[in-house]
Amino acid sequence: MSQPDNQNAKPDTAPKKQHRIQWGAFLGSMNLAVTLLMMLAIASVIGTVLQQNQPFQDYIIKFGPFWTQVFNSLGLFHVYGAAWFILVLLFLLISTGVCLTRNTPGFLKDMKQFSEGLSLNAYKHQPQSITYTPDHFDADQATQLLEQQGYKVKQHERDDGRTIAGMKGRWNRWGYILTHVSIIVICVGGLMDSNLLLKARELSGNLAPETRSVPLSQIPQKSWVGDENFSFRGTVNVAEGQKTDVLFLPYDRGFLVQKLPFTIDVEDFRIQYYDTGMPKNYASDLVLTSPELDEPIRKTIEVNKPLYYKNYAIYQSSFGDGGSKLDLQVHPLLAREFKPLELNTSVDQIETINTPVGKFRIEFNDFKLHNIVPNSEEEQAKTGKKMHNNGPSIIFKVRNEEGKAWEYENFMVPSQQEGRWFYMTGMRTATAEPFRYLFLPADENRKLDRFFEFLTLINDPDRTQATLKDALPAEGVDERTHEMQLKLMNQLLMLFRRQGFTGITRFVEENVPAEDQKRVRDYYINQTSLALQTLYLSVLEKEETQDLETISDFNKQWFEDAMVVLNSLSNYGPPLFFELKDFTHIQSTGLQITKSPGKDVVYFGSTLLIIGVFFLFYMRQKRVWLAFDNHHQTLTVAGKDTKPLPETEKEFNRLVDALQAQTGIKQ
Amino acid sequence: MSTANASLEMKTERQPWGLRDTIWTALILLGSYFAWDVFGSLMDVYEIGILIGFAAFWIWFGRFWPSIQPYSYATAVLSLLAIWIYIQNGNVYEANETAFFLKYLISSQSAIMWMSALFVIATAAYFGGLFAKSESINQFASFLAWAGAVMGTVGMMVRWHESYLINPDYGHIPVSSLYEVFILFAVMTTLIYLFYEQKMRTRAMGGFVMLIVSASVAFLLWYTFDRGAHEIQPLVPALKSYWMKIHVPANFVGYGAFSIAAMVGIAYLIVAKLKESNSQASFVQRMPSLESMDDLMYKTIALGFAWFTIATVLGAMWAAEAWGGYWSWDPKETWALIVWLNYAAWLHIRMSKGWRGKPMAWWAVIGLFITTFAFLGVNMFLSGLHSYGEL
Repeated sequence: MSQPDNQNAKPDTAPKKQHRIQWGAFLGSMNLAVTLLMMLAIASVIGTVLQQNQPFQDYIIKFGPFWTQVFNSLGLFHVYGAAWFILVLLFLLISTGVCLTRNTPGFLKDMKQFSEGLSLNAYKHQPQSITYTPDHFDADQATQLLEQQGYKVKQHERDDGRTIAGMKGRWNRWGYILTHVSIIVICVGGLMDSNLLLKARELSGNLAPETRSVPLSQIPQKSWVGDENFSFRGTVNVAEGQKTDVLFLPYDRGFLVQKLPFTIDVEDFRIQYYDTGMPKNYASDLVLTSPELDEPIRKTIEVNKPLYYKNYAIYQSSFGDGGSKLDLQVHPLLAREFKPLELNTSVDQIETINTPVGKFRIEFNDFKLHNIVPNSEEEQAKTGKKMHNNGPSIIFKVRNEEGKAWEYENFMVPSQQEGRWFYMTGMRTATAEPFRYLFLPADENRKLDRFFEFLTLINDPDRTQATLKDALPAEGVDERTHEMQLKLMNQLLMLFRRQGFTGITRFVEENVPAEDQKRVRDYYINQTSLALQTLYLSVLEKEETQDLETISDFNKQWFEDAMVVLNSLSNYGPPLFFELKDFTHIQSTGLQITKSPGKDVVYFGSTLLIIGVFFLFYMRQKRVWLAFDNHHQTLTVAGKDTKPLPETEKEFNRLVDALQAQTGIKQ
Repeated sequence: MSTANASLEMKTERQPWGLRDTIWTALILLGSYFAWDVFGSLMDVYEIGILIGFAAFWIWFGRFWPSIQPYSYATAVLSLLAIWIYIQNGNVYEANETAFFLKYLISSQSAIMWMSALFVIATAAYFGGLFAKSESINQFASFLAWAGAVMGTVGMMVRWHESYLINPDYGHIPVSSLYEVFILFAVMTTLIYLFYEQKMRTRAMGGFVMLIVSASVAFLLWYTFDRGAHEIQPLVPALKSYWMKIHVPANFVGYGAFSIAAMVGIAYLIVAKLKESNSQASFVQRMPSLESMDDLMYKTIALGFAWFTIATVLGAMWAAEAWGGYWSWDPKETWALIVWLNYAAWLHIRMSKGWRGKPMAWWAVIGLFITTFAFLGVNMFLSGLHSYGEL
């Protein structure tokens, strides 16, 4: 890959093979090498700027169908596996190889060459050269001097005198050889760990990645790879108490299933947190069993502490929920009586619920044991703690028959906000959005009973009618007007339940002449509030502990908080509320398993590279010659650096000074 | 060559072993033993290996570059003083608000502020010395740069201690976040520059090099005051490894050296430009010769390349342990490769094609942009496994 200064190399002596030599010259040329390095760099830039291996849909959204097609055919979505990228690498390998084979013999020779047999005149024409008449010259003393300075020395008897040739820093040449060999070694190691063999099998048609997400038993044989797979890197999630003998390898737009020659049992998974709620460490207790082992291997792995078994390595890479058991109460939000459904399910399960407004699919996605969030400054001042824990939560999606999904995050226990307790429930319709939260006020027992008593009462027109009639006797109006008023209230309540106060406002705007709108709206809202208050009082009445003569501040506040929720309940999506009552936490550990035969090759290459780089930069190959002329009794001191630096001259002069101090100068 | 020059020359030659070296070695051995004695129970076998390796390296380095000795003494004394004051004040982090010396001088935050101020003043002083043709101002600038390096290192040492004070769980060597490595970058770049300043016996390039250090200080201040990045955060599990102690510093020798090469490249281009119009211009006379600047570019890039190679290999080994593969084409990894390829090409062109001068200087400057993107841009624009220092 480099064209060394070839003062020491012989001129090319093979003109007859001109054609081949030109090829070699091209492949080994510096221009090609630097071009390839730059191409590699640019390809790498593309690979980082353009997100790699994303779902195809994402690219279409980002670039449109045309450019997606263009980019895809250029292999830009999998740059590092693209044929042209491999080709560039291959050319770099060839280029390095050609360069190495061309230069190594010369360099090896050069390392042994002291050039002690040159003529006196040749020495006088070296880059550094000085001739003087010494007072007394002693070859052995001079040899010693050179050896002290680190030179290896050879003596030679010329016809007209004696030459002492010194050389040091020959390792510099090894630097060249090592760095270039190392690049080849590293690339070979990398190639060993690439999926070229799988690609070949895919091309020959007996391998096809699985793109669906289906149970293991339904994955066709064509997507399985066995022990013959030479090198792989894949992941698998295993719940506590479960085991695995397969691994999933991401491949193209799907995955392959790798059969492992051993079984891994996950006995336990543990996770520790910082006080900020950030994971501090996680670990899995593994038992590895294999027919080849008399005793199974037991080991706890952690992040940065993998288990090595033969040429396999098993890493702790992630964690998640392994199917925690969930005991839920489902509150239909349109129900007319407070009678929640019991639902026993687990994370990763799908349940279906029929409601009067349609059938819903509930996908339970995740369970979180802790939800640690920063405290506000007031809370910090009060509690002295930076964080607090909102307790367990479930994350799930509710999907209607058309496939539209609402995602929810519901908390199991109430959390305190401004001194009051609320059950938080977050909802969003797109994963990119943040959750928007409703705060369901807890009653005095910190439960949701009162809220659902209240809600179901509002939902039930018969009970509402009766309650209102009871509580609001006809005063000063005739029976018919009173009937009308109660009926209006009922209708307003239904409207409120469906659309909140904005629904009432909108109704007025659409149905009432503009000049009357404000008056009618105020009246309607007034009536709605009156109805809700009346219903609330009846709910309080039912709770025997309540003293209705003086309504406590708590109860007043509760009503306000409930109104906020009721007002926006219409935006909550499907009319179902899931209350988490109990759970059994089951975690899963994310294992990454690799077989990487090229790793040691790459490491070996890397070691060569580092050693080579240091030799190349910090060993300078220097030659000096002391040639004594018997005729003139003069001494010619000559020097030559393979790579001259500004200090070369100074160092040479210093050597001459030292020499002259030893030999003296004849005046 | 004049005799005056020759005697100066001899200074950089290896001195015979003297009392100074004996004391140096003894103190390092003592300090390392002390560290092992106090903290050995918390270290794993690799960390003990790193301690031994570092002690040996530092003994050698103190002989190779004697100026590092007073720098180390000053750092050690001030750091120990800070820790002692913390202990005197109940060994709580909050002492940095009450104890006078901590509050104004050597708590990690104060020390880093001092470092920032010293580096910026040093930059100005170097330029002042250059334009006022005053060697004494130049010497003062060097002193400020040394003092800044000491304060920066003290800041990091004390921060290491403070991280344990905040919460023993949080404790870690302060090279884990973007904020922390920026301090490392400023200190490392300054030290590498100071080494070449002595070696080349010219302070004329100080202003140019310290410009990039000042730029990193400016970023650091913005990062502190706008983003509150100085707060000590606990480590994510993937970073909890002895590898961090060697991978990160090795990387920053590389980044520092590449930055110096680029700044020298700028100085080179300015001088070359001025020389075209007037080769006798006094600015040109005061700057080092083009040849020696060219040579310095080569030397710093070679140094950076060597260390960057080590750092990348160490990084690959760590990645193999933490992420399960020595190479994942993660953006940071890939950009490290791009930086490496760029300088590999630079070195090839220079070594075998013999290119010198302006094109190489331009290339070194462009190299800084590539390096900066690898260092900062990746964190800002690209996400990946290395997302520890997000902006």
